[in-house]
Amino acid sequence: MASISIRNLVKRYGNLTVIPDLDLEIADHEFVVFVGPSGCGKSTLLRIIAGLEPITSGELFIGDRRVNGIPAAQRDIAMVFQDYALYPHMRVYDNMSFALELRGVPKAEIDKRVKRAAALLHIEPYLDRKPKELSGGQRQRVAMGRAIVRNPKAFLFDEPLSNLDAKLRGQVRAEIKALSQELKTTMVFVTHDQIEAMTMADRIVVLQNGMVQQYDTPETVYERPSNQFVAGFIGSPAMNFFPVEWRGEQAVFAQDGSAALIDAENAVLMRRAGKAVLGIRPEHFVVADGATNGTTVTVKLVEPLGSDTLIHFDLAGASAIARVEPSLRPKVGDRITLRSQPGRIHLFEPESGKVLR
Amino acid sequence: MSDAQTTDRWIRWLNTLQLVVAGIIILTPTAWMVMSSFKPSFEVTAYPPTVIFSPTIQNYIELTKTTPFFNYAINSLIVTVGSTSLGLLFGIPAAFAVSWTRISWPAILTLAARMAPGTLFLLPWYVMFRQVDLIGSYTALILSHAVITLPIVIWVLLPSFDSIPRSVFEAAQVDGCSVTRILWRIAIPLVGSGIAVSAILAFVFSWNYFLFALVLSNGDTKTLIAAAFNFVGEGSTQWGALMAAATLIALPPLLLATLVQRWLVAGLTLGAVKG
Repeated sequence: MASISIRNLVKRYGNLTVIPDLDLEIADHEFVVFVGPSGCGKSTLLRIIAGLEPITSGELFIGDRRVNGIPAAQRDIAMVFQDYALYPHMRVYDNMSFALELRGVPKAEIDKRVKRAAALLHIEPYLDRKPKELSGGQRQRVAMGRAIVRNPKAFLFDEPLSNLDAKLRGQVRAEIKALSQELKTTMVFVTHDQIEAMTMADRIVVLQNGMVQQYDTPETVYERPSNQFVAGFIGSPAMNFFPVEWRGEQAVFAQDGSAALIDAENAVLMRRAGKAVLGIRPEHFVVADGATNGTTVTVKLVEPLGSDTLIHFDLAGASAIARVEPSLRPKVGDRITLRSQPGRIHLFEPESGKVLR
Repeated sequence: MSDAQTTDRWIRWLNTLQLVVAGIIILTPTAWMVMSSFKPSFEVTAYPPTVIFSPTIQNYIELTKTTPFFNYAINSLIVTVGSTSLGLLFGIPAAFAVSWTRISWPAILTLAARMAPGTLFLLPWYVMFRQVDLIGSYTALILSHAVITLPIVIWVLLPSFDSIPRSVFEAAQVDGCSVTRILWRIAIPLVGSGIAVSAILAFVFSWNYFLFALVLSNGDTKTLIAAAFNFVGEGSTQWGALMAAATLIALPPLLLATLVQRWLVAGLTLGAVKG
């Protein structure tokens, strides 16, 4: 078990800079999720920690040990790969015992550890099978078992759930979370799925173009996104954005000049900024009754999800979505009045995307 | 009948025709060789050729009586097994290294050496081997035949190594393996059929290679294929004995190929389509 410390890390492939300059501190026992769109550098960063990619410049520490240039084999970390990367010619037992055997661990100890991990992951019946005789979920568990038996300083997961079907993904997600609580080891998990990030992480690193956009708890990343990219990336359906301006002592939608529903606190920010991008999450719209101020929109599409209903509409020239009570089932073409929940709107600088505070 | 069905039928018919033509082209000389080896000497060169004849093993008796045929066979075996082993010893790590580093020029270089006419190597080798007093030795023959076997091993194994997902090697790295250990513990067990196929092909090509043995061997180390050339005389050729020798020479590779036919096809197409 160990902390991971990344200082001024730069990664280039020829002339292409994948990670321009990155600092990150992952505490001992912490479960950190790297999340971001394809090509944001999250897998590269994980592979750098694993020792599978060399660092162009900067420093990487695992615990107190500087591991720049130290081969993966000597870093004492375990990794679960997207395609599981089990050794096809070895039985499940041998897959799990291989790393211990390389380290000269006595046979009795290997046996004890493999059987304990197999019991933990419910794969005892499959220990004599070859990987090709297992289902995707079982292979996934074996890959985790291979990591667990080693008692490594840190676990690294590279999108390990992306090859599983939706139901199994949810199940394994919960199992990994439970495992992290039981093993109390530093875990770094890479995903492009923000639900995985939100549900599993102690802290989330949101990456874009190799730069950390925000590094905080899931709640903070969701409630107080540091910029428009994070706000748009975290949350499903994504946050709605509308350009707004301060005109004649009130905030209006830039496109049509109609009043934008901004509370007093944000009105102060708007007055100072002049122009901004207003962000509202679909779940932070409420359908207003006649007596309340709001913005009236025409329903374009209704998606009843069972647990709630998604209403699509156009507002100030932009397509938007509101998530409302499941009992509410307006028809396409209906006019409804929406307002935002108090304190639930976000304002961003139009150019930089930074949140206005 | 729909257009698609008609097209399918035509394709099947053309495929069959293609197979028959290819079969005739490949098998006719082989059948001719085998038949001639069992013909009395006067009938071997008869024109028009006879298809129905009284078979005799006279050519085989003459072959074994007039030449130390089994000594030559042993020589061939030593050179072929030696050069195939040498090819595997260096070819397996070389193919793995090319696949691992994705630097392909060394593999292309070996292929270029294989493509170059054998006569290109003969003079320098003759001079070199003579300087170290190795002309006529098994060592010279084995080393020279490695030029045949090494590229075969590398190029047959390259797609096999390439077809192993990179992440399997990376998992082994993370598990604590050095590159050498990855080769022995992970890569080689996964390309077993590729190794077998490359070994068989290397064996066959080395067994059949004529030129190096003709120049670099002596009376004690002459291989079968070079010895068979003795039946071709300036004034007359002993066709019957030559055909008997050719039939016997062709037997080991044929036998090997037949035994591992299924494996051979699977090994040769490995890596062509990644699952």
